[in-house]
Amino acid sequence: MRKLTFPIGGVHPEDMKYSRGHAIEVLPLPPVVYVSVAQHLGAPAVPCVAVGDKVKTGQVVAEPGGFISAYVHSPVSGTVKTIGPRADIAGRPVTHIEIVVEGDEWMEGIDLSEDLVTEIPTDREAVLEKIKACGVVGLGGATFPTHVKLNPPKDAKAECLIVDGAECEPYLTSDHRIMVEKPDQIVVGAAIMQMVLGGCRVVIAVEENKPDAIAALDAAIGRLGYKNIEVATLKMKYPQGSEKQLINAVLGRQVKSGALPISVGAVVQNTGTVLAVYDAVQKNRPLITNVLTVTGDCISGDRMHNYLFRIGMPLSYIADYAGGVPADAAKIVSGGTMMGKPIANLDAAAIKGTPAILYLSEEVTRRKPEGSCIRCGRCSDACPMGLEPFLLNRLYKADDLAALKENAVQDCIECGCCLYSCPSFIPLLDNIRMAKAKVKKL
Amino acid sequence: MDKFLVSPPPHAHSPRTTASLMRDVIIALLPATIVAVVFYGWSLVLVLAVSVASCVLLEWAICKWLMKRPFECPEAAVVTGLLLALSLPYTTPWWVVLIGAAFAIGVVKMTFGGLGQNVFNPASAARVFLLVSFPSYLTHWEMPQRLFGADAVTGPTVLSLANEGGTQALANLSQMGWHPLFAYVGGSAGEISVLALLVGFAYLLLRRVVKIWIPLSIFVTVAAVSAVFHAIDPVTYTGPIFNLLSGGLVLGACFMATDYVTSPMTSKGGVIFGFGIGLLVMMIRYFGAYPEGVSFAILLMNMAVPLIDRWCHQPKFGREE
Amino acid sequence: MTETILWTVAILAGLGLLLSVVLFLIAKKFRVEEDPRIDKVEAVMPGANCGGCGYAGCRAFAASAVAAPNLDNHFCPVGGNAVMKQVADILGYEVQEKAPMVAIVRCNGSCANRPKTSEYDGVKSCIAKASLYAGDTGCSFGCLGCGDCVAACQFGAIAMDPETGLPVVDEEKCTACGACAKACPKQIIELRKKGPRGMRVYVSCVNKDKGAVARKACAAACIGCGKCVKVCASDAITLENNLSYIDFAKCRLCKKCVAECPTGAIIAVNFPVIKPKPTPVEVKKEEEYA
Repeated sequence: MRKLTFPIGGVHPEDMKYSRGHAIEVLPLPPVVYVSVAQHLGAPAVPCVAVGDKVKTGQVVAEPGGFISAYVHSPVSGTVKTIGPRADIAGRPVTHIEIVVEGDEWMEGIDLSEDLVTEIPTDREAVLEKIKACGVVGLGGATFPTHVKLNPPKDAKAECLIVDGAECEPYLTSDHRIMVEKPDQIVVGAAIMQMVLGGCRVVIAVEENKPDAIAALDAAIGRLGYKNIEVATLKMKYPQGSEKQLINAVLGRQVKSGALPISVGAVVQNTGTVLAVYDAVQKNRPLITNVLTVTGDCISGDRMHNYLFRIGMPLSYIADYAGGVPADAAKIVSGGTMMGKPIANLDAAAIKGTPAILYLSEEVTRRKPEGSCIRCGRCSDACPMGLEPFLLNRLYKADDLAALKENAVQDCIECGCCLYSCPSFIPLLDNIRMAKAKVKKL
Repeated sequence: MDKFLVSPPPHAHSPRTTASLMRDVIIALLPATIVAVVFYGWSLVLVLAVSVASCVLLEWAICKWLMKRPFECPEAAVVTGLLLALSLPYTTPWWVVLIGAAFAIGVVKMTFGGLGQNVFNPASAARVFLLVSFPSYLTHWEMPQRLFGADAVTGPTVLSLANEGGTQALANLSQMGWHPLFAYVGGSAGEISVLALLVGFAYLLLRRVVKIWIPLSIFVTVAAVSAVFHAIDPVTYTGPIFNLLSGGLVLGACFMATDYVTSPMTSKGGVIFGFGIGLLVMMIRYFGAYPEGVSFAILLMNMAVPLIDRWCHQPKFGREE
Repeated sequence: MTETILWTVAILAGLGLLLSVVLFLIAKKFRVEEDPRIDKVEAVMPGANCGGCGYAGCRAFAASAVAAPNLDNHFCPVGGNAVMKQVADILGYEVQEKAPMVAIVRCNGSCANRPKTSEYDGVKSCIAKASLYAGDTGCSFGCLGCGDCVAACQFGAIAMDPETGLPVVDEEKCTACGACAKACPKQIIELRKKGPRGMRVYVSCVNKDKGAVARKACAAACIGCGKCVKVCASDAITLENNLSYIDFAKCRLCKKCVAECPTGAIIAVNFPVIKPKPTPVEVKKEEEYA
């Protein structure tokens, strides 16, 4: 079988997926949860409960604050204690709804059974409404509201839905686990999206380091018998999970600079999102759970876990449940080594898109002192967008915004390949990020 | 750890560092160095030692006392020293080697700002500097002693013979025991075995330290140009095989032209760069006053690198028509 | 021989003549007509091209000033009133005198006052740090200490104090161009009236957290207790979002608020030092205050 990949740039960090064999475990409920109103891209949601209100699991606690926004539901049943600012993982104050957990009594109408519902609804608008009402957002990293993404402009035609199971980030295994454990649900979810997008082709793209996931999905497709759904095997290469690179790998088309994927007829959805859509549409379950990986280079394999968590659980609670923060961890990251967000505040609450708690040792993660550029060109070779990071870095230092724009600095997807591969440890991406912000202001 | 680190992603780094890349280049130069030492004996060891030691010490001293900054990558200075020694005849007096090393590091590298800032390849520039300053030491080579017994035989190099008349010279050379892959005649120390150089270069390719485009482009250009001239007049002009395997071409193409700092950043630029070097080498060999032109060609093309970089860019994602 | 020399001279002279005619024609054709007053105005400008006036540089300022109907929207903070007077004379406009300003750093979160909660390991830049997270201390409003303001200052008027980790403004050198205030991602630096003999009273904190949170993060934080508002006789202090602000137009420099502030967030600078009288009664009183 032909293995696909994208042609320009990319790097091959060791995949470090030691937690791939650990089945998903369900975390018990903590005494208190803190539900953030900013769990998605776009306007923060507006709380619609008051202090002292009793809420049930799955009840709406915050409503969308704009067109690009999402509903937020209570992950537990209990009493709203406070509504106010609380530090997120970056330490910035964000409105959180504090709920004292009193049990796990779900709202009526939510199907909690594990029975597979294979019948695909046909009313497109109703399905989109359900996805919106259940607060589904993209779980691949950007947390863009899914009902907006699944509703492309009328003049655009979706030809292919790509389900992103690449999980190219080192360490992360949450998508891998759900593909292995819930392949049927993912295929049904993909079929629902296929219906919403008008019956396009569906490709579930998985990297070759997950053969068990590929086999499970293949078997599920055979079992369920939906038309026009297939699994594609990808070569291992980072950043294959990036939207533009994935489309290029699967369809061989390049999305033009500044254009949306739909311009080449593609829609990309993460596997976690597809599962959330299945839960929302077939089971009426709002998005209050997700899978995260607890892993790192300074903990042994038996301390690694894949957990099904509820949103609002403090990360420190999850870390403690997993055996506490290892003594030699120097940095904690929410996500993989390449694009994960650093956790400045471990007391922050988990949100819909929290992908992992990654412990990194000082040796692996501390930055080395910056050296001189030896013009080796490894950054340009690694850049999946075909940019020249060394040049952008130089132009940023010269403050030449016009030349930065000319050299397509705004195309940078911030994948980190340049900084990863620079042998002189020049903070290329840091400077390019600042250059992007400056060019954007022009 | 009471305070955790916070930094923008990525949070890990590739194991490749400038020092490790330079170490790979040193390893790649080892086969040629060992073969040369076996053939030329202790006098070459002296040349090597003087060259490497003075390069490293001088850069260290300049960093410490003149530039007042840390000595960043000693491995790079070692590479310069090795390359310089291998591009000189083993008979070069130690003080000439010392002057060459001082010129390479002190003038060509550090005055431009040190590591990564130099316009010219330090080793080639130093070789050219010595060639024009001390031509007697650099153009009249002695035959390796191992081969011709106790008495050292002074003789011209392969190329200076060839410069006087193509095929006839070649025939003479073959009688003298010249073999393309394993030259038993005088020349620069590193030219003794093309095979050893190629083995080292294959290691660099395998480790993905350099890309093949620059040397490939040089070889193709040299072969093509000499094939055309040889076809026109085989008596005056030497043929492709001879030109590919003689002189410092392999050493220059594989190790000097591929120097990161003084070569273009893109593969496309590398092809143009290599084409220029190949063409210049052949022009100097056929029509120039000097029998050997690789170092000159590399220096001339080094000057064109900023222009090539301005012109050649990678194809950008989603911006090509 | 003579012929060769003659030919050479003739050809070179002819070539020179021809090219000079070409140059003359080009210069004539592409000549740009400009108001001569722009050059005059530019000549009296400080020439720092700092952009503090809001224009790209001194020439852009001059061009705009010449074209403007009056000088109400033009002020060169670097040159100050003296330069503006000259500009007004050239253009025949009236100009109002402005009080001299100075940049002040509204954060007192020194290493001692504000303990670090994490270690920043990225590129040394406040913008990069601010876009990544709230900062390496418990205060998400205060100085990040990477010195973007120092880099932005063209006059060498700001330097980082290695002991406190905070920038310090050199009042003599500061021209109030505002480049540092623009560069600071946390908007800590403010341009304030220099004050009589440089005397100023201001709140050296921008923390809008609730009192307890702010206090926990930094010993010198404004906790929004409102004591200063009550004690102020000239109605110059406002309290908004748990943060006091002193309006320098109203402040009469009585320093009552400075004594009242429980955390020392209000700072008075350049006041003459009054030596405490060495009587035991006075000392006792001071102890009571403490």
